[in-house]
Amino acid sequence: MEQLNHAIIAANLSFGYKNSLILDHVNVEIEAGKLTFILGQNGSGKSTFLKILAGLLNAQKGILTVAGNNATRLSFHERSKLIGFLNQQHKAIFPFSVEDVVLTGRAGFINYIPKETDKVASIQAMERVGILHLRNRNYTELSGGEQQMVMIARLLAQNPKILLLDEPTTHLDFVNQSHLLNLLKQLVSEGLTIIAVMHDPNLAFMFGDDFLFLKDKKVIRSGETMKAWDTEFLKTIYHQKLETIPHNGRALLVPYLN
Amino acid sequence: MKKRIITLLIYLLPLPIILASLFIGPSQTATPDAIINLIFNNTGNTNLIQSVIFDVRLPRVLLTFLVGGSLAISGCSIQAIFRNPLTDSYILGLSSGAAFGAALALAYSFLPVQVSAFIFGLVAVGLSYFMARKNKNVSIVSLILSGIIVSGIFTALLTLVQFYSDPFKLQSIVHWTMGNLHNANWEKLQSAVIPITFGVIVLFVYRWRLNVLALGDDEARTVGINPEKDKLIILIAATLAASSAVAVAGIIGLYGLIVPHMVRMIIGPDNRQSIPLNFFFGGMFLLVIDNFSRTLSGFEIPIGVFTMLLGAPFFIFLMKKTSIGWNS
Repeated sequence: MEQLNHAIIAANLSFGYKNSLILDHVNVEIEAGKLTFILGQNGSGKSTFLKILAGLLNAQKGILTVAGNNATRLSFHERSKLIGFLNQQHKAIFPFSVEDVVLTGRAGFINYIPKETDKVASIQAMERVGILHLRNRNYTELSGGEQQMVMIARLLAQNPKILLLDEPTTHLDFVNQSHLLNLLKQLVSEGLTIIAVMHDPNLAFMFGDDFLFLKDKKVIRSGETMKAWDTEFLKTIYHQKLETIPHNGRALLVPYLN
Repeated sequence: MKKRIITLLIYLLPLPIILASLFIGPSQTATPDAIINLIFNNTGNTNLIQSVIFDVRLPRVLLTFLVGGSLAISGCSIQAIFRNPLTDSYILGLSSGAAFGAALALAYSFLPVQVSAFIFGLVAVGLSYFMARKNKNVSIVSLILSGIIVSGIFTALLTLVQFYSDPFKLQSIVHWTMGNLHNANWEKLQSAVIPITFGVIVLFVYRWRLNVLALGDDEARTVGINPEKDKLIILIAATLAASSAVAVAGIIGLYGLIVPHMVRMIIGPDNRQSIPLNFFFGGMFLLVIDNFSRTLSGFEIPIGVFTMLLGAPFFIFLMKKTSIGWNS
């Protein structure tokens, strides 16, 4: 298959709810094979943007190209081979076992009933994420962080080319946050494209390859002259006094004390 | 291991229970002793006993099994697609629609009772579904809400029909709504067997999809499933099975709600196993209840009443005894 440089190309993408415009003629290209983080203030439209990329919301204007395909022409089934999506929070009703939840990630490969290969793929996915010991537990009885890891295993079982993650580290403790982010880096080095919305700019700056910011209904980068972690640039995003301290050639943000 | 034995039992027990049920009934001639006598010694009132067994009891036993199985399997599917363990087809208006249809036919005899009950049952669920549908999306809350409203409307209409009916017709309407397996016959069985088989097969084919759909619409879409299409297919199959059951047996309250929970307590929530088990367990359990209702007292207690009196305490017992993860 032809190697495509861009996983996502958005051209003049606009989206709004009844009375409020969320995205206004967004133009952005996201490179394949990289770990890209999306940052921005609460309510800036990060999750909406990600849901449009995932095909769960449809932009009212503009063209979205996913791995070389016009996104509006893709069926759910075709899309599931290209894109996997992790929702911000997921509430399960029935106490399915972890293994059964991960197995549902294989739906795109399954006509009606899972086969042995699907079972093997889910076990490998659980192993990869490090939750194989949870496989017989009830999903509903797990902690928020454990549930998050289960849903990530489900994504790996789905085996798409692009992973879209909405705040994947939110429910995770300190150890699991680094564990997950290292796993994401590993997956990217194996050829996957990962695009994730993040709350915490520091984790993003430590692990990311590319950074997008949502501001004033647009998706922007820091540009040629500035780095994403430059204080001057971050002030334009967060509208706050802030301090950065150098770290591994990049920088970390320190919360501002009144 | 324990689960496997219980599962195996549920698959194996229906046949002996169906056979044993043929011995049970109020007939003074076809008593168990007389039947055994006929089989082994070939003596006794052959024609009468054969007629009681093959024309009265066998269709009733098979119909009861089919009705119980289809109510349970459709309840389980509806709970999965609406991600709500508190629903079944009755909550979507099926029973009140069917009851109104039956009452209308009993009072004005413009259609066979069964056909009218079947049609109005489908109409009620259809109304609930399309009233709740908004922007190609059916939310759980709006569906339950419109189901309650539709139920209310048909219950009001039923009361209206009852109010204008003469006492004799009123009595048959009330009897119908109590659940009535006692007038089962081969014709009724025949009319129910095709739509029920069709519905049950579709639900059986879609049993694993129910797991995917039970995780939520977005979670289904992103792994390549179109939830609107699948849910509509499953809802039609479940409603077809349940309304055919209601049309021939009347209202057997809460059965489609209770049995899926019992099955879940026994083998867990994975629909791959629970869908077929619901059919067998649902059929068997209703047959056992019906056997009690035929033998416990001199007269027959309506099945709808007896299901509640026997099924509800058993359900409470199971609920207290097992934990199935509803606590969160």
